Amino acid sequence: MNEMRLLPIPGEWIDRRQLIDFTFEGRRVTGYAGDTISSALWASGYRILGRSFKYHRPRGILSFANHDTNTLMQNGQMLNVRADVLSIRSDMALTAINSMGDVRSDRAHVLDFFSAFLPVGFYYKAFHTKKLFPFWEKVIRRMTGLGTVDPSTPHIRTAKRYDFCDVLVIGAGISGLSAALSAAQAGVDVVIVDENLHPGGSGQYQLGGEMAQAQHTANLVKSVQQHPRIRLYTETEAAGYYDDHWVPLVGRNYLSKMRAESVIVATGVYEQPAVFRNNDLPGVMLASAAQRLIYRYGVKPMNRAVVLTANSDGYRAAVDLIAQGITVVAVVDLRESYVEDQWTKKLCDRGVKIFPNHCIYEASSNPANDGVSAAIVCSLNSGNPETGFAQLISCDGILMSVGWAAAANLLYQAKTKMRFDDHVQQFVPHILPPGIFACGRVNGIFHIEQKRCDGQRAGLEAAAYLGKSDLTKIAVLPEAESPSHPFPIVAHPKGKNFVDFDEDLQLKDFYNAAQEGFDNIELLKRYTTVGMGASQGKHSNMNALRILARITNKTPEQVGTTTARPFFHPVPMSHLAGRGFTPERRTPLHSRHEALGAEFMLAGAWRRPEYYRQRGKNREDCIRLEVEAVRNGVGIIDVGTLGKLEIRGADAAEFLERVYTGRYTSMKIGTTRYALMLDETGVIVDDGVIARLSAEHFYFTTTTSGAATVYWELSRLNTMWRLDCGIVNLTGARSSINLVGSHARTVLAKLTDFELSEAAFPYLAVREMRIAGMPAIAMRVGFVGEWGYEIHVAADSALALWDALMNAGADYNIRPFGVEAQRVLRLEKGHLIVGQDTDGLTTPMEANLGWAVKLDKPFFVGQRSLQIIAKRTPKHTLVGFVLEKNFKGTPPQECHLIIDNNEIAGRVTSIAFSPTLQCYIGLAYIKPGLSEVGNSFSIRTTDGTSVMATVSKTPFYDPDNARQKKIATVRREVVV
Amino acid sequence: MTGFRVSPICDAMRLAQRATSEKMAKPSSEESLIATEREINQMRFAQGNSSGHSTTLGITDLSFLTRFGVKGAAAAAWLHAQNLPIPDAPNRWLPLRGGGLIARLGFNEFLIEDSINSSIAPQLIELSQHPPAKVYPVLRQDAAIALGGSLILDLLAQTCSLHFRALNLSECPVVLTTMVGVNVTIIPGEIYRIWCDGTYGVYLWQTLLNIIEEMQGGAVEFEQLLPL
Repeated sequence: MNEMRLLPIPGEWIDRRQLIDFTFEGRRVTGYAGDTISSALWASGYRILGRSFKYHRPRGILSFANHDTNTLMQNGQMLNVRADVLSIRSDMALTAINSMGDVRSDRAHVLDFFSAFLPVGFYYKAFHTKKLFPFWEKVIRRMTGLGTVDPSTPHIRTAKRYDFCDVLVIGAGISGLSAALSAAQAGVDVVIVDENLHPGGSGQYQLGGEMAQAQHTANLVKSVQQHPRIRLYTETEAAGYYDDHWVPLVGRNYLSKMRAESVIVATGVYEQPAVFRNNDLPGVMLASAAQRLIYRYGVKPMNRAVVLTANSDGYRAAVDLIAQGITVVAVVDLRESYVEDQWTKKLCDRGVKIFPNHCIYEASSNPANDGVSAAIVCSLNSGNPETGFAQLISCDGILMSVGWAAAANLLYQAKTKMRFDDHVQQFVPHILPPGIFACGRVNGIFHIEQKRCDGQRAGLEAAAYLGKSDLTKIAVLPEAESPSHPFPIVAHPKGKNFVDFDEDLQLKDFYNAAQEGFDNIELLKRYTTVGMGASQGKHSNMNALRILARITNKTPEQVGTTTARPFFHPVPMSHLAGRGFTPERRTPLHSRHEALGAEFMLAGAWRRPEYYRQRGKNREDCIRLEVEAVRNGVGIIDVGTLGKLEIRGADAAEFLERVYTGRYTSMKIGTTRYALMLDETGVIVDDGVIARLSAEHFYFTTTTSGAATVYWELSRLNTMWRLDCGIVNLTGARSSINLVGSHARTVLAKLTDFELSEAAFPYLAVREMRIAGMPAIAMRVGFVGEWGYEIHVAADSALALWDALMNAGADYNIRPFGVEAQRVLRLEKGHLIVGQDTDGLTTPMEANLGWAVKLDKPFFVGQRSLQIIAKRTPKHTLVGFVLEKNFKGTPPQECHLIIDNNEIAGRVTSIAFSPTLQCYIGLAYIKPGLSEVGNSFSIRTTDGTSVMATVSKTPFYDPDNARQKKIATVRREVVV
Repeated sequence: MTGFRVSPICDAMRLAQRATSEKMAKPSSEESLIATEREINQMRFAQGNSSGHSTTLGITDLSFLTRFGVKGAAAAAWLHAQNLPIPDAPNRWLPLRGGGLIARLGFNEFLIEDSINSSIAPQLIELSQHPPAKVYPVLRQDAAIALGGSLILDLLAQTCSLHFRALNLSECPVVLTTMVGVNVTIIPGEIYRIWCDGTYGVYLWQTLLNIIEEMQGGAVEFEQLLPL
């Protein structure tokens, strides 16, 4: 165990007192608490941590910076675990995700030998022939993939949070920490986030053997941690940027929506690989990866290293290796010359050979094919390798330090105008949007002291932007040398010089793509899939851009970059889903419905009883029995979901007159009237009943689904018209219950002293009375066609009213009924439901509601449109229909089409079996020519068969409405 | 014959009670679900029994407090005539003599809520039976909740998009916003008071309690949060 572990290093992230065992590919591995999966495996001598996506080549550590997508692993049900950053736990049982069998001997590695048959654009070419699509889909799905999904994986609930700050600093490296500190010292509230477990960034691992620098960084971190105006969030990624400085922060267990007043981007840079043959062998890694392995986890990256560089960072990395007792056999510098400084001197003193103007032409694999055995080094002539003078340098690892790419994704998303800086060979911010600032290496500033200055500058600028300080100019010196090489890419006739490690793209793939005409950066991306892998081009986009620039003889700026969209770093689905708040409304009677065995259904946000279960009865029987109870005895239904509004004031009647189609100024106190509401195009939008409680006081209902929108619309109109009235929404504050059936009056009479005779409380009247001691509003209205009362009480009294009615009705076998029974009952009466029997184009004329529209009124909403519509013949009209009495097949359903002469002639809006009439009845829109009573028509069902129906008069049941009013006087209700 | 009144949240506590009793082994963290039914102001309501959670994060039902709503152009003048203090701007509140509060929800809309010891709201209800012109009484049947404890801002960050830290509490702010998708009125302070449409009460309570329990809090008796 831990054969590659170094002696303890100050500031390391592991706890050597605590050993943790886990398994990888079925083998037991031991690491220290704080180790990542990759560091623990590397320390234990593992070199093959995963397989490449396309050719199944062995892969090890590359960046060790949350982008090593070739080392994604599966841990039980958890997919795509990022081994380079996730800490080990004792319950981990890890496997590589893209391997057939053991990752060390992946059976699919044979694909590497057939790579010539899998050229660039392979997918497009494979799928070009439609016939072969299923074959290739199957093969590709089997050979590639990112783990195995277990459908039984439980839903992981993560919190979504809202957060706020004055200044959000993204990146807690030296420049970010300095920016946070200077902004906070100016008096603003700062949040600083970093994706790593600990802050400090490169200030704690790119040391060049100087531990004092790590101490300086630690001191800076301490100052930030202790500052009362700064909140430091570690293990938190700023995953995107949205307008108005909204930034999603992704923590381990939550997603936070951060709203900042200003944002400082100190996201640093991604180190870029050099491109040479076999640059993907385990043991070939970025220099910064090796430095992180050493200083964070105390792990030796290799024993004998060759360092390929093109900047001073590579020399410092070589010194870091030597400081830990690792042999550096050579430094290969792509540049023609290098600047002699303290690090080159140290290396020379140690006898390290430096090869300026040389390249690594190829890395040789060891016999086990799980690592490097040598680097083949060539001198360069005008940038081209002189292969005739190749030298083989034995080593077991190669560090690459040839350049960087700005981690500018958030800046792009914030619509920053970027420019390519030839001196630092990097895209840097050119014009920043208001409130956005950049500092540090993403801003092209690499020297450690200058990063500190640049951070201070950005912090003060952000504070000044917020009006918290005067703008103080801080000078930041430009870089002395370029940290990035303009073309760290070496061609090789045998290929396998990888540009994109996610997608196994080689240098030749880009030349071939360009040759095929894909010579624009966006087209190139889509054709080659460069940058479309799990790391989203963090290691490949810059080199791809340089290659395309060379092919097309353009500058990198002319080639441009691809669009950076949020999220630029993968976000777990559990974080995106969050808790999932779905507001749900319950009437005050919900517990009673549950106790009575209600089967609930959703009606908008409401949960309503669809029907009440009965032992030994199926759904249809339960609904039928509920219908029969209402028709033959007494039933009770909770209609508390209806919209309930109140309007008071001198102009209340006038207001209603303008909003609804009927007449309300002439209504007598103590009466109710049907109310139909239209929009300005004359389309039906809602209906209900209006009750006049006093001269200036009306109480009225709306449909369940329309309550909120009707209230908002009425409030809007009231504001606009400035009438002397006030509207109150009582939908939640009042509860309502319908008591219906031939025994309804007898039951109610047991609970009130109020006179309930036909003369004292006639049909369509409203009365305020006390029922079971509670103040109530009772209306004699009947949606279901029986003698009934709609009783409204304060919501907190609903349970008491329900219990009282149930007790009083016990002797009459009172039965609660649900929404389904109510739908059947109203259909028997031919009553329409707005929203079901009307749609977004239905006018009152089409719905046969012309009787409810008083076109001769001075004004109502929709009147002008209706006056025009009324002159035209309706395209279709609502009719009742019945199926044959002995119909036995599958009945049509709502929305089934009526077909006449092979053309659509209408559609069904409601249909149900009537227990009362013992046949199927329904409502349908049909062409006027087919709407004569007695006319037959054909309904096409889902399975293509036709069912014959006959137009029928409505109401189907009790056509004289005798049962609901006994002594019929004036008919005022919704009848088709 | 007189009917009883029930808090809109009572069902939530009953459901929680039932869920807990159905579990054979009751985890200690769910002890808070055990409810006691009580009655104040002729309203039945249920209270959590966990005593230790009020310092961490506690939630309690205050729907039993009597309250009164009024709106209209003359509402402020009418309330003033009833010797009530009037907040000078919308979205502000003031304490009432003898306990309770008056919140100005808009230019012309007010909520008056009693404390456990006062009874101003029933008097106003009585007085408003025949209101003067431009005074419109509003029947208030809110689910009323109180939240308290050291983690209150963490809870709010997970449930509401408002920047509560930025509010100046000395100005007695009243916030009309949404919480877990429900329209709510909030008065922030050491104790956060929340009102919502009673038909959303069960959902709001259950959703908040789930999160509160994840944060090691629970339902508590109102006396632990509301100073008497």
